[in-house]
Amino acid sequence: MNNKVLAIHNLKVRYLTEDGSVEAVNGIDISVDKRKTLGLVGETGAGKTTTALSILRLIPDPPGEILSGNIELDGIDLMSITEKEMEKIRGDLVSMIFQDPMTALNPVINIGEQISEAISIHQHVTPDEAKKKAKEMLELVGIPGARWAEYPHQFSGGMKQRVIIAIALSCSPKLLIADEPTTALDVTIQAQVLELMKELKEKMDMSMLMITHDLGVVAEVCDDVAIMYAGRIIEQGSLKEIFKSTKHPYTEGLFNSVPNIDDRKSELKPIRGLMSDPYNLPVGCAFCDRCDYALEKCKTEKPEKIYFSETHFAECHLYKENIDFQLNSGKN
Amino acid sequence: MSENTEFVKTEQLLKTKKRSQIVDVWRRLRRSNTAVIGLILIFIFLCMAIFAPVIANYEDDALKMNVRERLQSPGIGHWFGTDELGRDIFARIVYGTRISLFVGIISVSIALTLGGTLGAIAGYYGGRIDNIIMRVLDVLLAIPTILLAITIVAALGASILNLMIAVGVSNIPGFARVVRAAVLSVKDQEFIEAAKAIGARDHTIILKHVLPNSMAPIIVFATLKVATAIMATASLSFIGLGIQPPTPEWGSMLAGGRAYIRDNMYIVLYPGLAIVLTVLSLNLIGDGLRDALDPKLK
Amino acid sequence: MAEILLEVKNLKKYFETPRGKLHAVDDVSFSIEKGKTLGLVGESGCGKSTTGRVILRLLEATDGEIYYKGKNIRDLKNNQMRDLRKEMQIIFQDPFSSLDPRMTVSEIIEEPIKLNKIIKDKEKRFERVLELMDLVGLSRRLMNTYPHELDGGRRQRIGIARALSLDTKFIVCDEPVSALDVSIQAQILNLMKELQEKLDLTYIFITHDLSVVNHFSDEIAVMYLGKIIEKAAAEELFSNPIHPYTKALLSAIPRPTIDKKIDKIILKGEITSPINPEFNCRFANRCNYAEDICKKKEPEFTKRSKDHYAACHIF
Repeated sequence: MNNKVLAIHNLKVRYLTEDGSVEAVNGIDISVDKRKTLGLVGETGAGKTTTALSILRLIPDPPGEILSGNIELDGIDLMSITEKEMEKIRGDLVSMIFQDPMTALNPVINIGEQISEAISIHQHVTPDEAKKKAKEMLELVGIPGARWAEYPHQFSGGMKQRVIIAIALSCSPKLLIADEPTTALDVTIQAQVLELMKELKEKMDMSMLMITHDLGVVAEVCDDVAIMYAGRIIEQGSLKEIFKSTKHPYTEGLFNSVPNIDDRKSELKPIRGLMSDPYNLPVGCAFCDRCDYALEKCKTEKPEKIYFSETHFAECHLYKENIDFQLNSGKN
Repeated sequence: MSENTEFVKTEQLLKTKKRSQIVDVWRRLRRSNTAVIGLILIFIFLCMAIFAPVIANYEDDALKMNVRERLQSPGIGHWFGTDELGRDIFARIVYGTRISLFVGIISVSIALTLGGTLGAIAGYYGGRIDNIIMRVLDVLLAIPTILLAITIVAALGASILNLMIAVGVSNIPGFARVVRAAVLSVKDQEFIEAAKAIGARDHTIILKHVLPNSMAPIIVFATLKVATAIMATASLSFIGLGIQPPTPEWGSMLAGGRAYIRDNMYIVLYPGLAIVLTVLSLNLIGDGLRDALDPKLK
Repeated sequence: MAEILLEVKNLKKYFETPRGKLHAVDDVSFSIEKGKTLGLVGESGCGKSTTGRVILRLLEATDGEIYYKGKNIRDLKNNQMRDLRKEMQIIFQDPFSSLDPRMTVSEIIEEPIKLNKIIKDKEKRFERVLELMDLVGLSRRLMNTYPHELDGGRRQRIGIARALSLDTKFIVCDEPVSALDVSIQAQILNLMKELQEKLDLTYIFITHDLSVVNHFSDEIAVMYLGKIIEKAAAEELFSNPIHPYTKALLSAIPRPTIDKKIDKIILKGEITSPINPEFNCRFANRCNYAEDICKKKEPEFTKRSKDHYAACHIF
């Protein structure tokens, strides 16, 4: 148990709006091992960001509320501590970087101060010491320390994202949550930033929860992968298991939808239809309408977790009777 | 390839009405308690204005001087009492509503049309045109509104028409600014570019795409401006440059009743209350509209 | 010999800024055959979107020629250009902001037809709108809904239907799938390909996503800071990239596979400013192979092999 930095059990989060209630997260279990990176993959509306915000207890309440579940961070039960204690943890034990670097920095404060602020909140240091640490962090992310007095608008998108990473890592958190950190960046800059994140993960001995919809990014940085759909984790496993022994039809669909740069001729096989209405989730499997392998019972019964190894499971009826069932892509 | 292509009959589809966006706004407006209060109040005033002849007789009650009945306290015969010339205050309030609302709405309409056109042109075309229009209007804006209105009325004479012109003209720069800002916020959106790409001409784009999408701040502004226009009318009439006696107008009623404030304060109380309530109700509606029209609060 | 539908020669678009002239598009030339797709690729700030808009004269070029069906369209007057717009259309990137939020689906698709007085009869016009909706896979039931009630994929279909509503032959596709989820991207790309075959459309496909353009284009031109630095048939570009930037771009794309480990070429530094650029290779400061000549002289865009051009001193 103690080699896990994060352990979430049966998390349920709901949003109450005037149009109805949305079960954003529907009972998920995730864990991240020490010094490992878990990729949380899914499309818009799957519930990934909600999950991340729950860990930091930043779900706006109202309209959101955490209905149930345990979240254990480095042994601490996050559901039972006070808001004040939670504030001490945010930025210190666990940090988060968001998708849009353009709006995440305060435009009227120089970047050095924004990093120092994170340091001063959590550590008892003098302003000079904080400034020194801020410069060190800048160097760590590849920005000359001399630029600490400059303002966000003087930096490009990629560099702003590095600043944000510097802020997030300034207190050496045990867990870094990255919510689509490179989606808004150009491809060559994305490569730079991902390279940086890999380096830092090693150097700072920390774990990462990487939220993304890009399977290519997952292949680059992650050790384990969890695929999310309509608020549930429908498949989870090690990188190799997910990429080489794909079990869930949705996961297979995701792989088929991505244009393969090395194989021009292959046809794109999109997943038909759309994600179900979050206000009106179906009774059975949420993916049923879009699934090419759907069985009768998929409409009415929710699938249970089927384990293929200690680390690899999928929620799918196909494997209940026949654990050796193979999907068309035959990635076995 | 295509999802669920049902061949619904064309005629059937032509009949289905689209869910009006106005209905949506109305529903959201109703949710604000203060806005509802404002709506009720304005509705009362509107009824008073429209049904004035039914409620009270113009000649007998509002205009006819009856020295014997002067300065009577509110009672059964005269709900709000009588003024210094024996006229029924309630009747004068009722007819005064007509004038206040009429002048308020018409003057704002003048300002909206003229100022709005200038603002839309300035905002859409930008560059030198924008500069010239806005600098000219800046000059107008530099003159205090009341002073400007006084100047116009003094020059053209005190009449209801000139009053509307005065209040209207003094509001042109304000409307130009609001419409210009609204146009600026919309014109760089891609659907405007899309309209150009399909061959729409500038005036079509402004009227059909830019303005309808920038209505929200303009509507709110206009509502609040009707309130200030009513106050301006009252103020001008108070100092004798607006509606001339004996025509009943709230501001001039205040002026007339000033001398009697100590013993017969009802003479100024009721017109004063009328002004406060109309202005208040319009402000409440304006605030409610601001929230109801805000797409982010959907 | 295939007909060349669009030809662009020495196209330039400069913007005046307080700090100097911004060279958004700097001497760009290419041609597209009828029924084919040219992929215009590059990262943000390279000038690809500006090029697309200049071709349609939504922005006026500073210099250069644009030939559509052999005629220089820069010479056309406003009303002649409006006529031409019936054939030359655009699909935008953002499926939300490119649709008027106050118009319903059918109104949006109908507008070009109504405006250009193509079909005057209301009922016949309506039939055409429904036809178009069927063509792009939009359920007829959605006729009276508003864009904000629909998801990105459906909204983009509306944009496509609108672009097709006139007698469209040529479409500038400005990052049409970048704002969509992966599985929806695939749906829309397949749709666009189908339509191209059905209606013999010619596309210029603007994107930063090389994997998408690989799938979709016959020829690809790579842009950097306003210039085309390499151009080749799609397969050729991917198998034999010449320019260091193209190579870096190709290697930077995260691949959804754990089989091959590609050595990533990580570019150093940042993109230089497009304002008052120097007369040298604009990529020199980030290039791992740059030599002295690169910092002094601008490389020429030369033919390297059949239909493969590149601008580089070193390679």
